[in-house]
Amino acid sequence: MDQQELRAWEARCIQEEPPGCRAGCPLGVDGRAFARTVAEGEMAAARAILEKSMPLTGIVARLCEAPCEQYCLRQALGGAVALGELERACVAAAPSQGKILRLPPRPKKVVVVGGGPSSLSLAFDLGKKGYPVTLFHSGEHPGGWLNRLPEQVLPAAVLEEELARLQDLGVSFLPMSQLSPQLYQEAEGCYLGQDDALPGAITSLLRQPDHLTFALPQTGWFSGGTSDEDDRFRFISDISQGREAAISLDRFLQGASLTASRVALRHGRTELFTRTDQVTPRQRILPADPRGYSRGEALQEASRCLDCQCLECVRHCQYLQAFGAYPKVYARRIYNNSAIVRGNHQANTLINSCSLCRQCETLCPNDFSMADLCLEARQTMVREERMPPSAHWFALEEMRSARSEGALRRHAPGTTNSRALFFPGCQLAGTRPEQTLALYERLRELEPETGIWLDCCAAPAHWAGSTTEFAAILEQLETGWSEMGRPRLITACSSCLQIFRQHLPTVPVESAWVVLAAHPQAATGTPRPALALSDPCTSRDDPQTQAAVRTILARLDQALAPLAMSGEQTECCGFGGLMESANPKLARQVAAARVAQTEAEILTYCAMCRDQLARAGRPVSYLLDLLLPEQALPAATAPVTISARRSQRRQLKAELLARYAPQEGPAPAPWEALKLNISEPVAVMMEERRILEDDLRQLLYLADQKRLKESIDPTDPAKTRGSCFIHPESGARIASARLGQVTFWVEYQQEAGVYRIERCWSHRMVIQGGRP
Amino acid sequence: MNLSFLPADMNWRCQSCGATLQPGMVELHYLGNVFRVELPVCPSCSAVLISEELATGRMLEIEQLLEDK
Ligand code: SF4
Ligand code: SF4
Ligand code: SF4
Ligand SMILES: [Zn+2]
Repeated sequence: MDQQELRAWEARCIQEEPPGCRAGCPLGVDGRAFARTVAEGEMAAARAILEKSMPLTGIVARLCEAPCEQYCLRQALGGAVALGELERACVAAAPSQGKILRLPPRPKKVVVVGGGPSSLSLAFDLGKKGYPVTLFHSGEHPGGWLNRLPEQVLPAAVLEEELARLQDLGVSFLPMSQLSPQLYQEAEGCYLGQDDALPGAITSLLRQPDHLTFALPQTGWFSGGTSDEDDRFRFISDISQGREAAISLDRFLQGASLTASRVALRHGRTELFTRTDQVTPRQRILPADPRGYSRGEALQEASRCLDCQCLECVRHCQYLQAFGAYPKVYARRIYNNSAIVRGNHQANTLINSCSLCRQCETLCPNDFSMADLCLEARQTMVREERMPPSAHWFALEEMRSARSEGALRRHAPGTTNSRALFFPGCQLAGTRPEQTLALYERLRELEPETGIWLDCCAAPAHWAGSTTEFAAILEQLETGWSEMGRPRLITACSSCLQIFRQHLPTVPVESAWVVLAAHPQAATGTPRPALALSDPCTSRDDPQTQAAVRTILARLDQALAPLAMSGEQTECCGFGGLMESANPKLARQVAAARVAQTEAEILTYCAMCRDQLARAGRPVSYLLDLLLPEQALPAATAPVTISARRSQRRQLKAELLARYAPQEGPAPAPWEALKLNISEPVAVMMEERRILEDDLRQLLYLADQKRLKESIDPTDPAKTRGSCFIHPESGARIASARLGQVTFWVEYQQEAGVYRIERCWSHRMVIQGGRP
Repeated sequence: MNLSFLPADMNWRCQSCGATLQPGMVELHYLGNVFRVELPVCPSCSAVLISEELATGRMLEIEQLLEDK
């Protein structure tokens, strides 16, 4: 990702766009934060929020006509939040917090002619920036028409206080009588405030100021305060003009362009999207006392603020919530991550934890795709050899195993051709071998020339960002399909379906559920109490399969309980995108959040979703449990362990092969026969540490006294396969061996031909100068 | 990681050699980094014993640190 791509990503997420109120405030006051703070009763903090954007807060907060309210999202839901009234209540309740910070004095002097609101606002901004300002005012006091306001609208003391504060900022006030032409002709910068009575000599010099910069034709001269007396927003418009002119004057005095990258007033324009369809209308609070809100009224009124934000995606995604921000921020973190060549890649976990489920893309008003962002970042990491080796290790090993020891591709027994080819998917084969066989039988009843293909579609390689391995497997899959006579594929897995459709478009593929739905006689079974149907995330863009499943269920008379995020908006179970591999803790949280969305028993049609959701401790059924009553598993069945997934794949393959010729098929590895005794706590330990029974058997096989002796090569310790230690007192043994990228260890007792496993562990570090 | 990781119970014997393990210096390599540590080693065939505590504690921590996980 380069800078420009980052900008493009950032621009897609509009979460940082201002809410209507802020966009509609000519001063950019953060009405959202202000309302939240008032609602919390923190008046002093709320005033501080106003002071951040507002000049002369005591005056402006009292007099602002609140043009922001025109753009408030509450408008149609009981009336705009009364920000104007709330500001008055706030400054009345909380006095100013003392001094305003002034930048170090600057040499260039500014003359202001006129003492009206626009002039005061300009003097405030320039004074803060360190310019010495001399302000000439009509009448006795600065302020122009502000001096004529009734006490309850603007207390004289408040005006006085704000004027005193201006003096603290380096503003000197002089009566208009002391103004000489020389003074303003020689000033380095000059502002003419038309919202005060100006001398005739000055008015004759006035031309129409530029509407954006408020510059006059005379160099270094600016003018504002031009609002009509009957303008609805007269006061705040003049304050705003003073501020805009101050920006220009500052730029002018620094020799900068008046217009370059100048942020224009938004007049309520914003890209922020905020969902309001769940919001109940609440009427605007009217103050009982015409002078303004009581504290209680103010708190109540402020609580009507909707806290306008987008966060459409974050609200529904555990992963996006887990990292504490929203996609715009994440895009930057991911960019920074790749920009750092060495050092701490803080965003590695962020990048590897997304389930690539694309729910965010569906919910986002701008189609921001965290999945694309993360997948691309993973591909870069793999290419640049920065991918943490352990992040996807287990899932990739699983894929390789399913593609070798678990793989099989045959025409149906007794046939030499395949008109269709059943590709159950490695997860279904590994978790539900009996159901896989029974589904195959059912498909063969519909089309006898249906071959079988046990394999993995390479989704794990794709999700891991491993483009090279992914491409290589796709090529092998395409070859395999060609060798079978290019039949149509039938798969029971939404991920396989998605991978084939997106990456092997020449291969015709359809869902087993679509096939079953098309044949009423093939979709029979027994209904249960209402079930909540959880669509797999990889079916998101596959309405056909989603509809087919519903057709099948309707035929069974199966009632469905509602589940909020379904169909196009469905949620991931936590397995997708290898989240489960890179961030198992988050994956469990995701599953827990998903099952918490319904009281009903859950039904899925993805074998992986079934086990992943069941891990959250709720009954979950798989579609075949309904369709194949003889092979049905109880909804409370525990998820299949990682060890069983492997051995069941092998068994399924063996069973299928036996249908062709009893002797066919690979002889089992010699270690497969070793008998293990694994207690429940050890099984849990193995699952958590991702250690397979297969791994342990290989270790134990190598640890055999004779084999060990034979394998020791004193000239090259690295060639030695394993080691074994004995505790002479307890008789405990520890065996170890390096298998692939990992060194595994097992502590056990050997008793009557059975290995009782005490514990097992592993590490990725390689031992040298000794040997495992 | 520049330390000694000798378990409290050093009474382990190498099965192939029959020798009792002795403290010995061993190099642990990961992602281009090398750590020299003291571990129980077979004096005859240099087999090394890495305890569960070490593998799931300090070693895992360092592996993850080096992986920037
Ligand atoms: S849905 Fe998410 S990504 Fe899209 S604009 Fe909103 S916060 Fe940003
Ligand atoms: S509801 Fe609140 S945040 Fe939204 S525009 Fe109105 S005041 Fe601003
Ligand atoms: S997990 Fe799904 S919804 Fe969440 S960010 Fe990733 S792709 Fe989007
Ligand atoms: Zn030895």
